[in-house]
Amino acid sequence: MIAKWVKMLLLYVRFMKANLIALLEYRLDMMIMIFSSALIHLLGLVFLWVIYQRVPDINGWGLWEVLVVYAMVYVTEGISSFLFEGSWMMNTLVNKGLLDNFLIRPVSPILQILSSRIGVNGIGNILIGTAILIQAVSHISMHWTIPKIIMAVVLLVSAIIIRSSIKLASNSSVFWTQNPGSSFPFMIHSIGEFAKYPVSIYNTVIQGIVTVVVPFAFVSFYPAAYLFDKEVFRYWGLLTPVVAIYCAIGAVTIFNYGLKRYESAGN
Amino acid sequence: MNAFRKYIVLGKVSLQNAMAYRSTFLISLLAGFVLVMSQFYIWKAIYSKHNEIGGYSWDEMKAYLLIMFITNSLLSWYSEMAISQKILDGSVAMDLLKPLDFQKARLAETMGASIFESILGAALASIIIIIFEGIASPPDLLTWLLFLVSLLASALIKFGIIYIAGLFCFWTSNPYGVAWVRAAITNLLSGAIVPLTLFPRWLESVTAYLPFRGVVFVPASIFLNRINGQAAVQEIAIQLLWALFLWLAGRMIWSRAVRQITIYGG
Repeated sequence: MIAKWVKMLLLYVRFMKANLIALLEYRLDMMIMIFSSALIHLLGLVFLWVIYQRVPDINGWGLWEVLVVYAMVYVTEGISSFLFEGSWMMNTLVNKGLLDNFLIRPVSPILQILSSRIGVNGIGNILIGTAILIQAVSHISMHWTIPKIIMAVVLLVSAIIIRSSIKLASNSSVFWTQNPGSSFPFMIHSIGEFAKYPVSIYNTVIQGIVTVVVPFAFVSFYPAAYLFDKEVFRYWGLLTPVVAIYCAIGAVTIFNYGLKRYESAGN
Repeated sequence: MNAFRKYIVLGKVSLQNAMAYRSTFLISLLAGFVLVMSQFYIWKAIYSKHNEIGGYSWDEMKAYLLIMFITNSLLSWYSEMAISQKILDGSVAMDLLKPLDFQKARLAETMGASIFESILGAALASIIIIIFEGIASPPDLLTWLLFLVSLLASALIKFGIIYIAGLFCFWTSNPYGVAWVRAAITNLLSGAIVPLTLFPRWLESVTAYLPFRGVVFVPASIFLNRINGQAAVQEIAIQLLWALFLWLAGRMIWSRAVRQITIYGG
Protein backbone atom coordinates (compact mmCIF):
# COMPACT_ATOMS: atom_id res chain seq x y z
CA MET A 1 0.00 0.00 0.00
CA ILE A 2 2.66 2.48 1.12
CA ALA A 3 4.92 1.43 -1.72
CA LYS A 4 2.11 2.21 -4.13
CA TRP A 5 1.68 5.72 -2.74
CA VAL A 6 5.40 6.40 -2.86
CA LYS A 7 5.47 5.25 -6.45
CA MET A 8 2.60 7.59 -7.27
CA LEU A 9 4.32 10.49 -5.60
CA LEU A 10 7.53 9.85 -7.51
CA LEU A 11 5.63 9.70 -10.76
CA TYR A 12 3.88 12.94 -9.94
CA VAL A 13 7.19 14.69 -9.24
CA ARG A 14 8.56 13.35 -12.51
CA PHE A 15 5.60 14.61 -14.54
CA MET A 16 5.80 18.02 -12.90
CA LYS A 17 9.53 18.22 -13.59
CA ALA A 18 8.83 17.63 -17.25
CA ASN A 19 6.21 20.41 -17.20
CA LEU A 20 8.64 22.78 -15.57
CA ILE A 21 11.38 22.08 -18.10
CA ALA A 22 8.92 22.66 -20.94
CA LEU A 23 7.95 25.95 -19.36
CA LEU A 24 11.50 27.15 -18.88
CA GLU A 25 11.80 27.24 -22.64
CA TYR A 26 9.60 30.33 -22.56
CA ARG A 27 11.30 32.28 -19.84
CA LEU A 28 10.01 35.77 -20.65
CA ASP A 29 6.47 34.45 -20.86
CA MET A 30 6.90 32.86 -17.48
CA MET A 31 8.14 36.08 -15.88
CA ILE A 32 5.24 38.06 -17.35
CA MET A 33 2.80 35.49 -16.01
CA ILE A 34 4.26 35.57 -12.49
CA PHE A 35 4.51 39.35 -12.40
CA SER A 36 1.08 40.10 -13.84
CA SER A 37 -0.88 37.67 -11.70
CA ALA A 38 0.82 39.05 -8.61
CA LEU A 39 0.04 42.59 -9.71
CA ILE A 40 -3.67 42.03 -10.18
CA HIS A 41 -4.00 40.53 -6.71
CA LEU A 42 -2.22 43.51 -5.18
CA LEU A 43 -5.30 45.60 -5.97
CA GLY A 44 -7.21 43.98 -3.14
CA LEU A 45 -4.45 45.08 -0.81
CA VAL A 46 -4.80 48.67 -1.97
CA PHE A 47 -8.53 48.44 -1.31
CA LEU A 48 -7.99 47.26 2.28
CA TRP A 49 -5.18 49.74 2.87
CA VAL A 50 -7.30 52.71 1.74
CA ILE A 51 -10.20 51.60 3.91
CA TYR A 52 -8.11 51.08 7.02
CA GLN A 53 -6.70 54.58 6.63
CA ARG A 54 -10.18 55.72 7.63
CA VAL A 55 -11.55 53.08 9.97
CA PRO A 56 -9.79 51.17 12.75
CA ASP A 57 -11.63 47.90 12.29
CA ILE A 58 -14.30 46.11 10.26
CA ASN A 59 -16.63 43.98 12.37
CA GLY A 60 -13.93 43.76 15.01
CA TRP A 61 -11.22 42.70 12.56
CA GLY A 62 -8.11 44.89 12.36
CA LEU A 63 -6.06 45.48 9.22
CA TRP A 64 -3.43 42.82 9.84
CA GLU A 65 -6.02 40.24 10.81
CA VAL A 66 -7.97 40.81 7.61
CA LEU A 67 -4.70 40.65 5.71
CA VAL A 68 -4.10 37.17 7.11
CA VAL A 69 -7.51 36.10 5.76
CA TYR A 70 -6.63 37.70 2.44
CA ALA A 71 -3.16 36.18 2.32
CA MET A 72 -4.50 32.71 3.07
CA VAL A 73 -6.57 32.96 -0.10
CA TYR A 74 -3.42 33.97 -1.97
CA VAL A 75 -1.06 31.34 -0.63
CA THR A 76 -3.48 28.43 -0.95
CA GLU A 77 -4.52 29.54 -4.41
CA GLY A 78 -0.86 29.86 -5.38
CA ILE A 79 0.19 26.46 -4.07
CA SER A 80 -2.91 24.80 -5.43
CA SER A 81 -2.47 26.25 -8.90
CA PHE A 82 1.26 25.53 -8.90
CA LEU A 83 0.77 21.87 -7.99
CA PHE A 84 -2.68 20.99 -9.31
CA GLU A 85 -3.33 23.33 -12.23
CA GLY A 86 -4.01 20.21 -14.31
CA SER A 87 -7.64 20.19 -13.12
CA TRP A 88 -8.34 23.04 -15.50
CA MET A 89 -7.21 20.80 -18.36
CA MET A 90 -10.13 18.41 -17.87
CA ASN A 91 -12.38 20.34 -20.19
CA THR A 92 -9.93 19.97 -23.06
CA LEU A 93 -8.98 16.42 -22.17
CA VAL A 94 -12.56 15.18 -22.15
CA ASN A 95 -13.85 17.15 -25.11
CA LYS A 96 -10.95 16.25 -27.35
CA GLY A 97 -10.94 12.63 -26.24
CA LEU A 98 -7.39 12.97 -24.92
CA LEU A 99 -8.41 11.35 -21.67
CA ASP A 100 -8.19 8.01 -23.53
CA ASN A 101 -4.41 8.22 -23.33
CA PHE A 102 -4.59 8.51 -19.56
CA LEU A 103 -7.04 5.66 -19.16
CA ILE A 104 -4.90 3.07 -20.91
CA ARG A 105 -1.89 3.73 -18.70
CA PRO A 106 -1.56 1.73 -15.49
CA VAL A 107 -1.55 4.88 -13.33
CA SER A 108 -4.44 6.65 -11.59
CA PRO A 109 -6.13 9.05 -14.06
CA ILE A 110 -6.51 11.66 -11.33
CA LEU A 111 -2.76 11.69 -10.80
CA GLN A 112 -2.16 12.13 -14.51
CA ILE A 113 -4.71 14.93 -14.81
CA LEU A 114 -3.35 16.84 -11.83
CA SER A 115 0.19 16.63 -13.18
CA SER A 116 -0.72 17.47 -16.77
CA ARG A 117 0.12 21.11 -16.24
CA ILE A 118 2.02 23.41 -13.93
CA GLY A 119 0.54 26.73 -12.86
CA VAL A 120 3.47 29.06 -12.96
CA ASN A 121 1.33 32.10 -12.14
CA GLY A 122 0.95 30.48 -8.71
CA ILE A 123 4.53 31.45 -7.88
CA GLY A 124 3.66 35.15 -7.79
CA ASN A 125 0.76 34.45 -5.44
CA ILE A 126 2.88 32.29 -3.16
CA LEU A 127 5.60 34.95 -2.91
CA ILE A 128 3.27 37.85 -2.18
CA GLY A 129 0.96 35.84 0.05
CA THR A 130 3.85 34.58 2.15
CA ALA A 131 5.30 38.08 2.43
CA ILE A 132 1.95 39.39 3.70
CA LEU A 133 1.56 36.50 6.13
CA ILE A 134 5.00 37.07 7.61
CA GLN A 135 4.38 40.82 7.92
CA ALA A 136 0.95 40.27 9.44
CA VAL A 137 2.09 37.71 11.99
CA SER A 138 4.87 40.04 13.13
CA HIS A 139 2.37 42.90 13.56
CA ILE A 140 -0.22 40.94 15.51
CA SER A 141 0.69 40.31 19.12
CA MET A 142 -0.06 36.65 19.52
CA HIS A 143 0.98 34.04 21.96
CA TRP A 144 2.48 31.28 19.84
CA THR A 145 2.55 27.93 21.60
CA ILE A 146 3.82 24.70 20.04
CA PRO A 147 0.31 23.22 19.69
CA LYS A 148 -0.83 26.41 18.01
CA ILE A 149 2.05 26.32 15.53
CA ILE A 150 1.30 22.68 14.72
CA MET A 151 -2.37 23.57 14.30
CA ALA A 152 -1.43 26.46 11.99
CA VAL A 153 0.43 24.05 9.72
CA VAL A 154 -2.48 21.58 9.79
CA LEU A 155 -4.88 24.41 8.89
CA LEU A 156 -2.71 25.52 5.98
CA VAL A 157 -2.44 22.01 4.56
CA SER A 158 -6.19 21.49 5.02
CA ALA A 159 -6.91 24.77 3.26
CA ILE A 160 -4.83 23.71 0.26
CA ILE A 161 -6.63 20.35 0.15
CA ILE A 162 -10.05 22.04 0.32
CA ARG A 163 -9.25 24.45 -2.48
CA SER A 164 -7.74 21.78 -4.72
CA SER A 165 -10.68 19.44 -4.09
CA ILE A 166 -13.19 22.13 -5.04
CA LYS A 167 -11.20 22.68 -8.22
CA LEU A 168 -11.16 19.00 -9.13
CA ALA A 169 -14.84 18.51 -8.25
CA SER A 170 -16.07 21.55 -10.17
CA ASN A 171 -14.00 20.64 -13.21
CA SER A 172 -15.42 17.12 -13.10
CA SER A 173 -18.69 18.73 -14.18
CA VAL A 174 -17.34 18.36 -17.70
CA PHE A 175 -18.38 14.68 -17.62
CA TRP A 176 -21.99 15.79 -17.34
CA THR A 177 -22.13 19.01 -19.35
CA GLN A 178 -19.99 17.79 -22.27
CA ASN A 179 -19.85 21.35 -23.43
CA PRO A 180 -16.47 22.65 -24.57
CA GLY A 181 -17.29 26.15 -23.36
CA SER A 182 -18.62 25.18 -19.97
CA SER A 183 -18.20 28.00 -17.49
CA PHE A 184 -19.38 26.13 -14.40
CA PRO A 185 -15.93 25.61 -12.83
CA PHE A 186 -15.05 29.27 -13.37
CA MET A 187 -18.25 30.34 -11.68
CA ILE A 188 -17.48 28.14 -8.68
CA HIS A 189 -13.96 29.56 -8.68
CA SER A 190 -15.17 33.15 -8.60
CA ILE A 191 -17.32 32.44 -5.54
CA GLY A 192 -13.98 32.04 -3.76
CA GLU A 193 -13.64 35.84 -3.92
CA PHE A 194 -16.02 36.04 -0.98
CA ALA A 195 -13.49 34.26 1.20
CA LYS A 196 -11.02 37.14 0.91
CA TYR A 197 -12.78 39.05 3.68
CA PRO A 198 -14.14 38.01 7.08
CA VAL A 199 -17.22 35.95 6.29
CA SER A 200 -19.02 37.48 9.26
CA ILE A 201 -19.76 40.61 7.21
CA TYR A 202 -22.04 38.75 4.78
CA ASN A 203 -25.69 37.86 5.04
CA THR A 204 -26.77 34.32 5.91
CA VAL A 205 -27.19 33.24 2.29
CA ILE A 206 -23.61 34.04 1.30
CA GLN A 207 -22.29 32.69 4.61
CA GLY A 208 -24.17 29.46 3.95
CA ILE A 209 -22.83 29.18 0.43
CA VAL A 210 -19.18 29.63 1.38
CA THR A 211 -19.47 27.48 4.50
CA VAL A 212 -21.59 24.55 3.32
CA VAL A 213 -22.13 24.53 -0.46
CA VAL A 214 -18.59 25.41 -1.60
CA PRO A 215 -16.62 25.63 1.65
CA PHE A 216 -14.20 28.38 0.60
CA ALA A 217 -14.56 29.98 4.02
CA PHE A 218 -12.54 27.09 5.47
CA VAL A 219 -9.66 28.10 3.23
CA SER A 220 -9.17 31.47 4.86
CA PHE A 221 -11.71 32.83 7.33
CA TYR A 222 -12.33 29.98 9.77
CA PRO A 223 -8.64 29.08 10.15
CA ALA A 224 -7.83 32.75 10.80
CA ALA A 225 -10.72 33.02 13.26
CA TYR A 226 -9.30 30.03 15.12
CA LEU A 227 -5.82 31.51 15.27
CA PHE A 228 -7.05 34.90 16.49
CA ASP A 229 -9.69 33.49 18.88
CA LYS A 230 -12.51 35.35 17.15
CA GLU A 231 -16.01 34.93 18.60
CA VAL A 232 -17.79 31.68 17.86
CA PHE A 233 -16.06 31.31 14.53
CA ARG A 234 -12.93 29.96 16.18
CA TYR A 235 -14.70 26.69 16.93
CA TRP A 236 -15.56 26.40 13.26
CA GLY A 237 -11.86 26.70 12.53
CA LEU A 238 -11.28 23.40 14.34
CA LEU A 239 -13.50 21.72 11.77
CA THR A 240 -11.14 22.67 8.92
CA PRO A 241 -9.23 19.34 8.77
CA VAL A 242 -12.53 17.43 8.81
CA VAL A 243 -13.87 19.58 5.99
CA ALA A 244 -10.64 18.93 4.09
CA ILE A 245 -11.04 15.15 4.36
CA TYR A 246 -14.70 15.43 3.42
CA CYS A 247 -13.87 17.59 0.37
CA ALA A 248 -11.08 15.31 -0.81
CA ILE A 249 -13.24 12.18 -0.57
CA GLY A 250 -16.14 14.05 -2.18
CA ALA A 251 -14.02 15.29 -5.08
CA VAL A 252 -12.56 11.85 -5.82
CA THR A 253 -16.02 10.28 -5.62
CA ILE A 254 -17.49 12.86 -8.00
CA PHE A 255 -14.58 12.36 -10.36
CA ASN A 256 -14.88 8.56 -10.38
CA TYR A 257 -18.64 8.75 -10.76
CA GLY A 258 -18.22 11.11 -13.70
CA LEU A 259 -15.49 8.98 -15.24
CA LYS A 260 -17.97 6.11 -15.55
CA ARG A 261 -20.05 8.35 -17.80
CA TYR A 262 -17.08 9.22 -19.98
CA GLU A 263 -17.53 8.29 -23.59
CA SER A 264 -14.54 9.00 -25.74
CA ALA A 265 -14.91 11.69 -28.36
CA GLY A 266 -12.51 9.61 -30.44
CA ASN A 267 -9.08 10.80 -31.28
CA MET B 1 -22.23 55.92 -46.27
CA ASN B 2 -21.22 52.68 -47.87
CA ALA B 3 -17.96 52.76 -45.97
CA PHE B 4 -19.86 53.13 -42.72
CA ARG B 5 -22.14 50.16 -43.49
CA LYS B 6 -19.23 47.74 -43.61
CA TYR B 7 -18.54 48.49 -39.99
CA ILE B 8 -22.19 48.19 -38.99
CA VAL B 9 -22.17 44.68 -40.47
CA LEU B 10 -19.02 43.84 -38.52
CA GLY B 11 -20.69 45.06 -35.35
CA LYS B 12 -23.72 42.88 -36.03
CA VAL B 13 -21.62 39.78 -36.64
CA SER B 14 -19.74 40.45 -33.43
CA LEU B 15 -23.02 40.81 -31.55
CA GLN B 16 -24.16 37.41 -32.85
CA ASN B 17 -20.81 35.93 -31.90
CA ALA B 18 -21.14 37.35 -28.42
CA MET B 19 -24.54 35.72 -28.03
CA ALA B 20 -23.16 32.39 -29.23
CA TYR B 21 -20.34 32.52 -26.72
CA ARG B 22 -22.46 33.87 -23.92
CA SER B 23 -20.86 31.70 -21.25
CA THR B 24 -17.64 33.69 -21.60
CA PHE B 25 -19.58 36.84 -20.79
CA LEU B 26 -21.39 35.18 -17.94
CA ILE B 27 -18.08 34.27 -16.29
CA SER B 28 -16.68 37.77 -16.38
CA LEU B 29 -20.01 39.29 -15.34
CA LEU B 30 -20.39 36.85 -12.48
CA ALA B 31 -16.85 37.52 -11.33
CA GLY B 32 -17.69 41.25 -11.36
CA PHE B 33 -20.90 40.52 -9.49
CA VAL B 34 -19.13 38.58 -6.73
CA LEU B 35 -16.57 41.38 -6.46
CA VAL B 36 -19.18 44.11 -6.12
CA MET B 37 -21.17 42.05 -3.61
CA SER B 38 -18.13 41.42 -1.40
CA GLN B 39 -17.29 45.12 -1.50
CA PHE B 40 -20.91 45.96 -0.71
CA TYR B 41 -20.81 43.89 2.49
CA ILE B 42 -17.44 45.35 3.52
CA TRP B 43 -18.82 48.86 3.17
CA LYS B 44 -22.05 47.85 4.89
CA ALA B 45 -20.08 46.68 7.92
CA ILE B 46 -18.16 49.98 7.90
CA TYR B 47 -21.20 52.20 7.48
CA SER B 48 -22.97 50.46 10.35
CA LYS B 49 -20.59 52.46 12.57
CA HIS B 50 -19.96 55.57 10.46
CA ASN B 51 -22.35 57.99 8.82
CA GLU B 52 -19.99 58.98 6.09
CA ILE B 53 -16.58 57.95 4.76
CA GLY B 54 -14.59 60.56 2.87
CA GLY B 55 -17.75 62.58 2.25
CA TYR B 56 -19.72 59.65 0.86
CA SER B 57 -22.97 58.69 2.54
CA TRP B 58 -24.01 55.03 2.53
CA ASP B 59 -26.58 55.59 -0.25
CA GLU B 60 -23.96 57.37 -2.33
CA MET B 61 -21.40 54.61 -1.81
CA LYS B 62 -23.96 52.04 -2.95
CA ALA B 63 -24.60 54.09 -6.08
CA TYR B 64 -20.86 54.31 -6.65
CA LEU B 65 -20.53 50.54 -6.41
CA LEU B 66 -23.35 50.13 -8.92
CA ILE B 67 -21.74 52.46 -11.47
CA MET B 68 -18.45 50.70 -10.86
CA PHE B 69 -20.08 47.38 -11.71
CA ILE B 70 -21.70 48.80 -14.87
CA THR B 71 -18.55 50.45 -16.22
CA ASN B 72 -16.54 47.31 -15.47
CA SER B 73 -19.04 45.08 -17.25
CA LEU B 74 -18.80 47.07 -20.45
CA LEU B 75 -16.01 45.98 -22.82
CA SER B 76 -15.04 42.96 -20.82
CA TRP B 77 -12.57 40.14 -21.21
CA TYR B 78 -14.13 38.95 -24.48
CA SER B 79 -13.38 42.10 -26.47
CA GLU B 80 -9.94 42.31 -25.01
CA MET B 81 -9.06 38.73 -25.93
CA ALA B 82 -10.60 39.11 -29.38
CA ILE B 83 -8.02 41.78 -30.26
CA SER B 84 -4.99 39.95 -28.87
CA GLN B 85 -6.11 36.62 -30.33
CA LYS B 86 -6.24 38.13 -33.81
CA ILE B 87 -2.62 39.12 -33.50
CA LEU B 88 -1.44 35.90 -31.86
CA ASP B 89 -3.12 33.38 -34.14
CA GLY B 90 -2.04 35.33 -37.20
CA SER B 91 -5.52 36.07 -38.51
CA VAL B 92 -4.39 39.69 -38.49
CA ALA B 93 -2.82 38.80 -41.84
CA MET B 94 -6.29 38.36 -43.32
CA ASP B 95 -7.36 41.69 -41.83
CA LEU B 96 -4.47 43.38 -43.57
CA LEU B 97 -5.84 42.17 -46.90
CA LYS B 98 -9.32 43.49 -46.29
CA PRO B 99 -10.29 47.00 -47.38
CA LEU B 100 -11.04 47.88 -43.77
CA ASP B 101 -9.29 50.01 -41.23
CA PHE B 102 -8.06 47.61 -38.51
CA GLN B 103 -8.77 49.97 -35.63
CA LYS B 104 -12.22 51.00 -36.83
CA ALA B 105 -13.11 47.37 -37.47
CA ARG B 106 -12.10 46.42 -33.92
CA LEU B 107 -14.11 49.33 -32.53
CA ALA B 108 -17.16 48.20 -34.50
CA GLU B 109 -16.76 44.64 -33.18
CA THR B 110 -16.20 45.77 -29.63
CA MET B 111 -19.25 48.02 -29.70
CA GLY B 112 -21.34 45.26 -31.25
CA ALA B 113 -20.42 42.84 -28.50
CA SER B 114 -20.95 45.49 -25.86
CA ILE B 115 -24.63 45.75 -26.79
CA PHE B 116 -25.03 42.20 -25.55
CA GLU B 117 -22.88 42.97 -22.52
CA SER B 118 -25.04 45.97 -21.69
CA ILE B 119 -28.19 43.86 -21.70
CA LEU B 120 -26.69 41.19 -19.43
CA GLY B 121 -25.07 43.87 -17.29
CA ALA B 122 -28.36 45.76 -16.93
CA ALA B 123 -30.10 42.57 -15.80
CA LEU B 124 -27.47 41.98 -13.12
CA ALA B 125 -27.47 45.68 -12.22
CA SER B 126 -31.19 45.52 -11.45
CA ILE B 127 -30.58 42.53 -9.18
CA ILE B 128 -27.87 44.59 -7.46
CA ILE B 129 -30.25 47.54 -7.03
CA ILE B 130 -32.78 45.25 -5.35
CA ILE B 131 -30.16 43.77 -3.00
CA PHE B 132 -28.68 47.19 -2.16
CA GLU B 133 -32.08 48.52 -1.00
CA GLY B 134 -31.97 52.19 -1.85
CA ILE B 135 -29.23 53.98 -3.71
CA ALA B 136 -28.66 57.63 -4.48
CA SER B 137 -29.82 58.55 -7.99
CA PRO B 138 -29.45 61.63 -10.22
CA PRO B 139 -31.76 64.49 -9.19
CA ASP B 140 -32.96 65.47 -12.66
CA LEU B 141 -33.17 64.47 -16.30
CA LEU B 142 -30.20 66.62 -17.32
CA THR B 143 -27.93 64.78 -14.88
CA TRP B 144 -29.12 61.46 -16.26
CA LEU B 145 -28.35 62.70 -19.76
CA LEU B 146 -24.88 63.92 -18.82
CA PHE B 147 -24.27 60.61 -17.08
CA LEU B 148 -25.19 58.60 -20.17
CA VAL B 149 -22.91 60.71 -22.39
CA SER B 150 -20.14 60.29 -19.86
CA LEU B 151 -20.75 56.53 -19.80
CA LEU B 152 -20.41 56.38 -23.56
CA ALA B 153 -17.19 58.39 -23.38
CA SER B 154 -15.99 55.96 -20.70
CA ALA B 155 -16.53 53.06 -23.13
CA LEU B 156 -14.51 54.91 -25.80
CA ILE B 157 -11.63 55.52 -23.41
CA LYS B 158 -11.71 51.90 -22.32
CA PHE B 159 -11.62 50.80 -25.95
CA GLY B 160 -8.57 53.00 -26.51
CA ILE B 161 -6.83 51.37 -23.56
CA ILE B 162 -7.61 47.75 -24.42
CA TYR B 163 -6.76 48.34 -28.08
CA ILE B 164 -3.30 49.64 -27.22
CA ALA B 165 -2.81 46.84 -24.68
CA GLY B 166 -3.87 44.32 -27.32
CA LEU B 167 -1.28 45.66 -29.74
CA PHE B 168 1.42 44.74 -27.26
CA CYS B 169 0.80 41.16 -28.34
CA PHE B 170 2.90 42.00 -31.38
CA TRP B 171 5.86 42.05 -29.00
CA THR B 172 4.89 39.40 -26.44
CA SER B 173 3.00 36.17 -26.91
CA ASN B 174 1.28 36.23 -23.56
CA PRO B 175 -2.19 37.77 -23.89
CA TYR B 176 -3.20 36.95 -20.29
CA GLY B 177 -0.19 38.68 -18.84
CA VAL B 178 -0.89 41.78 -20.93
CA ALA B 179 -4.57 41.76 -20.01
CA TRP B 180 -3.86 41.31 -16.30
CA VAL B 181 -1.36 44.15 -16.18
CA ARG B 182 -3.79 46.30 -18.15
CA ALA B 183 -6.65 45.45 -15.78
CA ALA B 184 -4.52 46.07 -12.70
CA ILE B 185 -3.42 49.52 -13.86
CA THR B 186 -6.87 50.56 -15.10
CA ASN B 187 -8.67 49.36 -11.98
CA LEU B 188 -6.22 51.05 -9.65
CA LEU B 189 -6.26 54.44 -11.35
CA SER B 190 -9.84 54.60 -12.64
CA GLY B 191 -11.57 54.50 -9.28
CA ALA B 192 -12.69 50.90 -9.72
CA ILE B 193 -11.44 49.96 -6.27
CA VAL B 194 -12.58 52.94 -4.21
CA PRO B 195 -13.63 56.48 -5.14
CA LEU B 196 -10.42 58.28 -6.10
CA THR B 197 -11.04 60.95 -3.48
CA LEU B 198 -10.41 58.33 -0.78
CA PHE B 199 -6.87 57.82 -2.06
CA PRO B 200 -4.02 59.66 -0.36
CA ARG B 201 -3.69 63.14 -1.83
CA TRP B 202 -0.53 62.39 -3.89
CA LEU B 203 -2.04 59.36 -5.58
CA GLU B 204 -5.28 61.18 -6.26
CA SER B 205 -3.43 64.02 -7.95
CA VAL B 206 -1.50 61.56 -10.12
CA THR B 207 -4.78 60.20 -11.48
CA ALA B 208 -5.87 63.68 -12.55
CA TYR B 209 -3.27 63.64 -15.32
CA LEU B 210 -4.19 60.21 -16.66
CA PRO B 211 -7.04 58.96 -18.85
CA PHE B 212 -8.16 56.23 -16.43
CA ARG B 213 -10.34 58.35 -14.14
CA GLY B 214 -12.65 58.89 -17.11
CA VAL B 215 -13.51 55.19 -17.06
CA VAL B 216 -15.21 54.91 -13.65
CA PHE B 217 -14.72 57.92 -11.44
CA VAL B 218 -16.05 60.65 -13.78
CA PRO B 219 -19.30 58.89 -14.81
CA ALA B 220 -19.89 57.86 -11.19
CA SER B 221 -19.32 61.39 -9.91
CA ILE B 222 -21.71 62.80 -12.50
CA PHE B 223 -24.28 60.19 -11.52
CA LEU B 224 -23.94 61.25 -7.90
CA ASN B 225 -24.24 64.91 -8.89
CA ARG B 226 -20.86 65.58 -7.28
CA ILE B 227 -19.69 66.96 -10.59
CA ASN B 228 -22.49 68.98 -12.14
CA GLY B 229 -23.37 71.80 -14.51
CA GLN B 230 -20.46 73.35 -16.34
CA ALA B 231 -17.91 71.22 -14.50
CA ALA B 232 -19.66 68.09 -15.76
CA VAL B 233 -19.57 69.31 -19.35
CA GLN B 234 -15.92 70.12 -18.93
CA GLU B 235 -15.15 66.65 -17.53
CA ILE B 236 -16.96 65.01 -20.43
CA ALA B 237 -14.96 67.13 -22.86
CA ILE B 238 -11.77 65.94 -21.17
CA GLN B 239 -13.00 62.35 -21.42
CA LEU B 240 -13.59 62.76 -25.14
CA LEU B 241 -10.19 64.36 -25.62
CA TRP B 242 -8.57 61.39 -23.88
CA ALA B 243 -10.56 59.01 -26.08
CA LEU B 244 -9.31 60.88 -29.15
CA PHE B 245 -5.75 60.92 -27.86
CA LEU B 246 -5.81 57.16 -27.18
CA TRP B 247 -7.31 56.57 -30.61
CA LEU B 248 -4.46 58.45 -32.30
CA ALA B 249 -1.86 56.79 -30.07
CA GLY B 250 -3.34 53.43 -31.04
CA ARG B 251 -3.01 54.35 -34.72
CA MET B 252 0.62 55.28 -34.24
CA ILE B 253 1.50 52.10 -32.38
CA TRP B 254 -0.35 50.04 -34.98
CA SER B 255 1.59 51.54 -37.88
CA ARG B 256 4.83 50.82 -36.03
CA ALA B 257 3.81 47.30 -35.02
CA VAL B 258 2.56 46.24 -38.40
CA ARG B 259 5.90 47.04 -39.99
CA GLN B 260 7.73 44.47 -37.94
CA ILE B 261 5.14 41.73 -38.19
CA THR B 262 6.13 38.23 -39.26
CA ILE B 263 3.45 35.64 -39.78
CA TYR B 264 4.27 32.01 -40.25
CA GLY B 265 1.88 30.52 -42.76
CA GLY B 266 -1.81 31.06 -42.33
